[in-house]
Amino acid sequence: MDQVAVTAFFQTLVQGLLTGGLYALIGTGLSLIFGVMKIINFAHGDFLAIGMFITLALFKAFNLDPYLSLLVAAPFGFALGYLIQRFVLARLGDRLGEGSLLATLGLGLIISNTLLLGFGAQPQSINVPYAINTLKFAGVQVSVSLLIAGLGTVLAISALNLVLYRTELGRAIRATAQNPLGAELQGVKTSNIQAIVFGVGVSFAAIAGVLLMPLLYTFPTVGENYVTKAFIVTVLGGLGNLPGAVVGGLVLGVIESLGAFYISNNYRDAYGLIVFLLVLLLRPEGLFGRTVKRV
Amino acid sequence: MTALAPTSAARPRALTFGNVWLSAVLVAILFIYPFVFGKTLNFGISTLLFAGFAMSWNILGGWAGQTSLGHAALLGIGAYSMTLLATPERLPPFLSSPLAPWWGTLVGMVVAVAVAAVWGWLTFRLQGSYFALSTIAVALVIRLIAINSNWTGGAEGLFMPDLPRPFGLDLFDRKVEYWLAFAFVLLTLVITHLIRRSRMGYALQAVREDEDGARALGIDPARMKLLAFMLSAALMALGGSLYALYLQAFEPHTILELPLSIQIALLAIIGGRTTIQGPLIGALVLSIFGEVFRNVFSSANLLIYGVLILLVTLFAPSGIMGLFQRAGSKLGTAR
Repeated sequence: MDQVAVTAFFQTLVQGLLTGGLYALIGTGLSLIFGVMKIINFAHGDFLAIGMFITLALFKAFNLDPYLSLLVAAPFGFALGYLIQRFVLARLGDRLGEGSLLATLGLGLIISNTLLLGFGAQPQSINVPYAINTLKFAGVQVSVSLLIAGLGTVLAISALNLVLYRTELGRAIRATAQNPLGAELQGVKTSNIQAIVFGVGVSFAAIAGVLLMPLLYTFPTVGENYVTKAFIVTVLGGLGNLPGAVVGGLVLGVIESLGAFYISNNYRDAYGLIVFLLVLLLRPEGLFGRTVKRV
Repeated sequence: MTALAPTSAARPRALTFGNVWLSAVLVAILFIYPFVFGKTLNFGISTLLFAGFAMSWNILGGWAGQTSLGHAALLGIGAYSMTLLATPERLPPFLSSPLAPWWGTLVGMVVAVAVAAVWGWLTFRLQGSYFALSTIAVALVIRLIAINSNWTGGAEGLFMPDLPRPFGLDLFDRKVEYWLAFAFVLLTLVITHLIRRSRMGYALQAVREDEDGARALGIDPARMKLLAFMLSAALMALGGSLYALYLQAFEPHTILELPLSIQIALLAIIGGRTTIQGPLIGALVLSIFGEVFRNVFSSANLLIYGVLILLVTLFAPSGIMGLFQRAGSKLGTAR
């Protein structure tokens, strides 16, 4: 391979890894929720849209730096998720399996259509001068906002890991995931833990939305694109498997990026879907099976 | 003792809404509609078409209990086949006849059944939410093919060409379209009634309630689900071709998107997926709601779906029909 082709390859790879990091962040929230509650949150993409629109609204109203919106979007996402678990999902009782699919679909429609009422259907974006800058390492160009997004992803996922494995709350979450009844008997308030976990999951989606906002246009149904990415990521990594979600995100980002560059950009979204279907059919426990430690 | 089971099954039960009478009443209302509300035929046609879609979805989603979130793909196959083969010039000469617009529909139904067969064969080993996820993925792949192919008109979609007039009928006349949609609903309703009382219907319900139990009784769940999916697909494609006729022009973004699939599934679930008329009732109720709130919500028309599905999930798990039945049985016991 000549020099140009090598640089192009690394350019594509880095681009894919950084985008994949964002997919990992979205997928981690979904996977955490699945790990503890065994439900798939079909509104996950719409929570991401909320993060994007909070950023947009704050920027328009106060000219607030998009990354400072994290201070609003993350807690807002947490509170929203906490309340949804408490007042909607917890009420489904033994109908949780089918009920959560329908309830989260319904919530998703409510969110996207409320955004449509509030902000209109036009794609909107924000312009921050430093976000469009690019950095160059050994011929490989990376946009600053994508780099910040990658950094944010690493920080958020590391923080989650610290909480899960170093704190009492983390122990309670892991106990609830493994055996809710047993955890309850040990004095863990599992209903509260589940609400916290749903809150964290939604918060992660909202954070991903904030990090994406300087890179992209947003519109009320933007979540649709990302909810499928999140599904792919979590299934690749194994549902409920957090390290798996991170690897799954990176794998998806790289597959899309390489496929778009070397095969056809038109089918960018198809590569992930096809891998997703193959994994779903051949290895429903995820690419990494049980060899990776679960939550 | 021995006669007890057959008589209780055969005796028509008053005040339960699962019987033929409710269907007859609904059909009568739909029959009278164009004579009373002739000015709002568009509303009538789209309501009927969505009622038909929801009932077709329900053969798989309700009777077989497999929540598909990808049915718009099958509808799209019907719409594309109809539109592509609607011009007599695109057909071999011996098929160019006044029947030309319908060859495409037949082809669409055959293709949809074939796609459903492969689709179901691939995905039925997945359970519950996993199955729903896989249907989204398959439908998205089909959508990507439609967007990126030349013969589908790509992202711009297709125009319905000038149509021949079979038996002198102008297929762009809203009155004709209303009766076609009416016939579609009638057909779906009759088929659903026939299924319910058939061996297949009982087998499907057994599979829905307890797959392992059904297997123990000698039912092959995979085969039953596949049959339901193929039948559901054929009807979806038929409805899709009528939808194309009604729209006259469409693009992948309107006819193959995830929200359309979700909308169809929710109509059936909100109405009541374990009943025959539930999807029809769901479509009627939601169309009326949609019409009432149209000025308030403009394009955010799916808001009402979101609110209703949340309420139904929380407070009426068997849908609107479930509420009817509960009210009916209360009346029945009170008497």
